[in-house]
Amino acid sequence: MSRYFYYIILINMVANIIASVPYILLHFYNDGSISAMIIATITGTIIITVYAKFFIQFPGQTLPDLLKQTTAKWFYAPLIFIMAVVWFFAGMITLITFTFLLIRYLTPEMPIVLISLSIILSVILGCFIKTDRVLYTIEIVLLLTLPLIIYIFLKAYTDPNINWDFVKEAALYINQMPNFESFTASFYLFLGVANLFIFNRFFTIKQKFGWKQIITIFLITVSTLFTTYFVPIGFHGTENIDHLIYPWIQTSDSLRMKYSLIERVLFVFLLFYLCIAFLSMLIHWHVSVEYLKYLFTFEKIKYRGFNLGIFIPPTLFTLISTYFVQVINEYHLFRLSSFLNITLSVFFPFMIIVFFYIKRRMKYAKNTK
Amino acid sequence: MQKIQSKLLIIFSILFFLSGCEEFKDIDKDVFVSMIGIDHSDDNEKPFKVTLKLFVPTSSFRQKPEANYTYLVETAETISEAIRILETHIDKELDFGHLKLIVLGEELVKENKNKEVLDFLLRRPDIQLISWVTVGRPNAEEIVTMVPKGETAAYPSLYNYFDGNGTESPYIVTMFLFDYRRRMMENGLDPIIPIVEISENESTFTVNKSIVLKNRKTPYELDPLNTFIFNSLSMNVKIADIEVKQGNEHFVAKIDTIKAKNKVKKQGNNKFSLDVNVELIGYIVESQNALNSRDLPKYSKLLEKEAKENLESFFHELQSEGLDPIGFGLKYKAQTFHHKRMSIEEWNETYKNAEVNIKVTASLKSTGSIQ
Repeated sequence: MSRYFYYIILINMVANIIASVPYILLHFYNDGSISAMIIATITGTIIITVYAKFFIQFPGQTLPDLLKQTTAKWFYAPLIFIMAVVWFFAGMITLITFTFLLIRYLTPEMPIVLISLSIILSVILGCFIKTDRVLYTIEIVLLLTLPLIIYIFLKAYTDPNINWDFVKEAALYINQMPNFESFTASFYLFLGVANLFIFNRFFTIKQKFGWKQIITIFLITVSTLFTTYFVPIGFHGTENIDHLIYPWIQTSDSLRMKYSLIERVLFVFLLFYLCIAFLSMLIHWHVSVEYLKYLFTFEKIKYRGFNLGIFIPPTLFTLISTYFVQVINEYHLFRLSSFLNITLSVFFPFMIIVFFYIKRRMKYAKNTK
Repeated sequence: MQKIQSKLLIIFSILFFLSGCEEFKDIDKDVFVSMIGIDHSDDNEKPFKVTLKLFVPTSSFRQKPEANYTYLVETAETISEAIRILETHIDKELDFGHLKLIVLGEELVKENKNKEVLDFLLRRPDIQLISWVTVGRPNAEEIVTMVPKGETAAYPSLYNYFDGNGTESPYIVTMFLFDYRRRMMENGLDPIIPIVEISENESTFTVNKSIVLKNRKTPYELDPLNTFIFNSLSMNVKIADIEVKQGNEHFVAKIDTIKAKNKVKKQGNNKFSLDVNVELIGYIVESQNALNSRDLPKYSKLLEKEAKENLESFFHELQSEGLDPIGFGLKYKAQTFHHKRMSIEEWNETYKNAEVNIKVTASLKSTGSIQ
């Protein structure tokens, strides 16, 4: 499989650490989080395999392309619109989470609208550029930040203050019925593959997806989930861990680089994660805009020969997110992301049925030709 | 051409966003807090007395190499209120981002106000979780306001006791705020805080005792020897001096490697034993009698005996008081499924009556430069 395929999966996984996933998982630490994580790993690997195997049959074709070829308009138009909204919300939740983090830790004096606008300004770029450019941006930013983020993770694992007894204690909650909300939260990590709906446009050469790829992805997800869940427990214990609103931010604040330029790892961590969050939003909003382009022909809207149409979705995105940034509070944000997780983990397995339908219709179309 | 012009126009208009620095405060409008001392005041209405130590900005090191501080003191009903009042006592914004040391007054710890103080320290996002928690004796204010001789500007000498860069004595317990938090929350791991005192000649600090909070509430003081044993058993301390006084021999062993392993072992039904394995490697630095290299195994045996006696009295003290700073309760939890764990009270009883198996293996490698 092309390395770009791993990037889109990886970003969703790494970006979850600052989102609400660790909060939800740790909230149910004594109520079935661990078994939910195990089940999510298995089902998640299956869903990645099914999605990847489906899309490599149609190199270079996006899901809206396929839907248009095989299904009626009353079916695909609402579906694509719903997907556009879902992707927009996924990006917006990352944006709001990160805006809250910045105002809490980095720039408490700055007005919240200005923070979110300055993030949007860089992200909105993704709505205009082509799909392959988005992937190149991802590669460059990942190359710069990922090694340092992995270094911080290693630092956390080798820190003398991480108490493995806490980790063992938490791991012994394994024999419980899996918790649904924890399951959906950890399942969210695997849904980066859904970005293939649009990004498959880039993979024009036929790809291979065999056991080697499956095992690689499985190992990456297991280590990401393990890090997400157990490192905060090692630093903060299990009792009252649900009191920590941003478990990973507080964990990075518990790390100390004695001889580094900045002793407090928190700031380094926040800056690197700003990059990851930027990529995550870039992907989500890019996909969302691409969906909308299939539904509406924005190029038609012109003012004195100047193409105004392509500015409509980004403007809408900006307006809606700046509105939400101001009205939402932390509790709403967690409820909203929890709700999004639940919808997605029902919605995406259901998409497999659509895949089967498309496959059959495409075969039929080929045969009649 | 026109296209390029319009593009340039857009780029230049973006530059207007860059001028938006008016939302930030200049660094010279901030004043950095280096230590916070929280005391219990006698006033019932205003139980908290907050002392802040502020760095006074100096224009250059050469002009003023010695330390220079300002102090702010206020009593109020809550800590935040005290800080709010203190903000009106100074012309600059108080910045807690560089706060690295928290001194709790001894009275405050005895009055059991730890929950409220911890809540304040954790809730403020600008206070580092890697700041050190200490207990000030006789009170926090005296510790915070004291400047020992030879202190350099911008780095209070009290920091050196804890940061692992200056002195690395095995008698100093380094307790980070996040560690303190998890110990305050967890049942099987008791909080332990170092005590900072002013030494008799009033020119330096002494840090060699510690306070364990029994049941996370009642303070119990550990003397220097027990503090040292605790440190070497569970805080990754590697260097120590052990005085051996057995029979005719009287020597001091310098230990450069300490490996300690603590375990909880199940012995039949609801009976547990605490297994402590300690490995000491080092050499002899001082002796009353002449030593013989051939007898090194014998000296090692003596050291083992001495260490074992000390450890036994340490564990006897811990068990009779029901203190668990090493975290045997947590170790028990870490090896028992959650639905089979006994209740906290049951475990406390079990812990008090548990058998302690101490095994010390010492190997002295040398008698120093002379025999």
